Amino acid sequence: MPAPTAAPRPSWLPDFCSLPVLFAVMIVAELLVLVILIAPSDESRPLLPRLTTTSVFVQWLALLCAVCLCQLRAPLQRLPPWLGVAVAYVLMLLVTVLGSALVFRLDQELGLGLTLPVQFEARFVWRNAALCALIGAALLRYFYVFEQWRERVRAEAKARFDALQARIRPHFLFNSMNTIASLIPLRPQEAERAVENLADLFRAALGDEATPSTLGAELDLVRRYLDIEKLRLGERLRVDWDVAELPPAMPVPALLLQPLIENAVYHGIQQLPAGGTLRVRGRCDGRHVEIEIRNPCPPAAARARSGRGMALANTRARIEYHFGRRGTLDVDAGAEYYACRLRLPVTAEAD
Amino acid sequence: MAMRVLIVDDEPLARERLAALLQECGEVTVVGEAGDGRAAVEAVERLRPDVVLLDIRMPVMDGLEAARHLARFDTPPAIVFCTAYDEHALAAFEASAIDYLVKPVRAERLRTALERARRFGAGTLAKLETMTATARARSHLCARVRGNLVLVPVADIDYLLAEDKYVVVHHRKGEVLVEEALKSLETEFGDRFVRIHRNCLVARDRLAGLVRGADGGVYARLEGCTATLEISRRNLPALRRLVRSL
Repeated sequence: MPAPTAAPRPSWLPDFCSLPVLFAVMIVAELLVLVILIAPSDESRPLLPRLTTTSVFVQWLALLCAVCLCQLRAPLQRLPPWLGVAVAYVLMLLVTVLGSALVFRLDQELGLGLTLPVQFEARFVWRNAALCALIGAALLRYFYVFEQWRERVRAEAKARFDALQARIRPHFLFNSMNTIASLIPLRPQEAERAVENLADLFRAALGDEATPSTLGAELDLVRRYLDIEKLRLGERLRVDWDVAELPPAMPVPALLLQPLIENAVYHGIQQLPAGGTLRVRGRCDGRHVEIEIRNPCPPAAARARSGRGMALANTRARIEYHFGRRGTLDVDAGAEYYACRLRLPVTAEAD
Repeated sequence: MAMRVLIVDDEPLARERLAALLQECGEVTVVGEAGDGRAAVEAVERLRPDVVLLDIRMPVMDGLEAARHLARFDTPPAIVFCTAYDEHALAAFEASAIDYLVKPVRAERLRTALERARRFGAGTLAKLETMTATARARSHLCARVRGNLVLVPVADIDYLLAEDKYVVVHHRKGEVLVEEALKSLETEFGDRFVRIHRNCLVARDRLAGLVRGADGGVYARLEGCTATLEISRRNLPALRRLVRSL
């Protein structure tokens, strides 16, 4: 099985070299300038020159920070998020402290009197640093939330798209058609039932992802799917159900189980000449439900094909979207068996 | 003379349907059925059919590999692939198989395919062999022992030893000769076997360790196998790295 391509790490740091972000930085900087000027102070110089000099100074510092963060974006992204944020934050403070000190000294040397009298150097620098600390924290938090939100929207869209793509293998459709064609002259009633089951399956597959399903409905769908597969595979497919504990009314995303069961048949049972027993086991302790789908499969050495990845990644994405971090899907691939373990929090509506 | 047909599919109902359709075709005898590629190769050896209707997706050995083994027979049968939905396979075989059918198979399509098989025989299979040789590693090696066909699962092979024109396949249940070049086996099964000597490939997962012999040479020890195999000086560094990483 090819390693599933790692999803790009959700980014917390925007690209500071992009125009919209730069613009946002400049707007915030200018707002800060206005706040500084409007705040009551004992400054005696006229407002307009103060606005100009303060603006130039603050914008210069803000852009300097932006350029530093832009240049260091790649290494910062590689750090764990908390460390990356801390480093970015310290970096901004450092730029402000050094920049302020530099400007203060220059001002003193040139004697322009734009800052404060010479004895107030420390006060000037530390005041700027404090302002930067407050505004910088707010800004980093804002960008973090914004990027997370964008990431989530993107992931959601992708999950939905994948869901549509990965639903039912065409192979299954045509094989089922073939089965039905064989059954018509031999056992017309079974053919009829197979058509009904196939219709239900495709109704679910072509349905709207937004309409939530329930665990009971999903289990029914899986039973229909397995009925069709049983016609196809005959004695080779045996199913051992143990799902009495599961709350049937619990809301779950549509087509939560079928792709996993299809994988178990397609990559497991169907690959074994003598077939095998597919086990579906459900447990519920009131707070979590746990569903295990376990199937025998050919020894790892003989496993030639891949393709489980798609349904797995898809289901995982949708679980995360619906249940957040509390829902998990784990895989246990042994030498001659394969097991998927779903763990979902029982949601309030389930009662 | 009636055409002798072998039906190969892992689904009983699919086999039943093909048998029913063939009955309507006339001039056709179904000589047997098989449920996977390996059983198909053995059945062809035994029954010598004129035509094999071969499903592609099957357990143990798929239809494509079975076709490769069949192509090496002295008088190979004509092969008609039947498949539900294997786009890639179809694309690859359009040019080289006698014909292919998509499921559910139509009676008239089946009749045309049989007609083609009657006219063209098995001539086009050689091309198939070369086309798929690069595509994917086989799951079995096919050998003849005193005229009988033996299929050895690649997973059961401990090591391959080149001798003159042959390669001796040492596997779990004994040894057989195959008429293939060690070099081409190495290319095909590169991720399963590692070269330890000019004349020897060893299954990576059987490699248990390296030992120094009394003569100063280094030998490979294999799991569940009494033989110790000489490692050439050239292959030694790579092999040491491999053993260390095990």
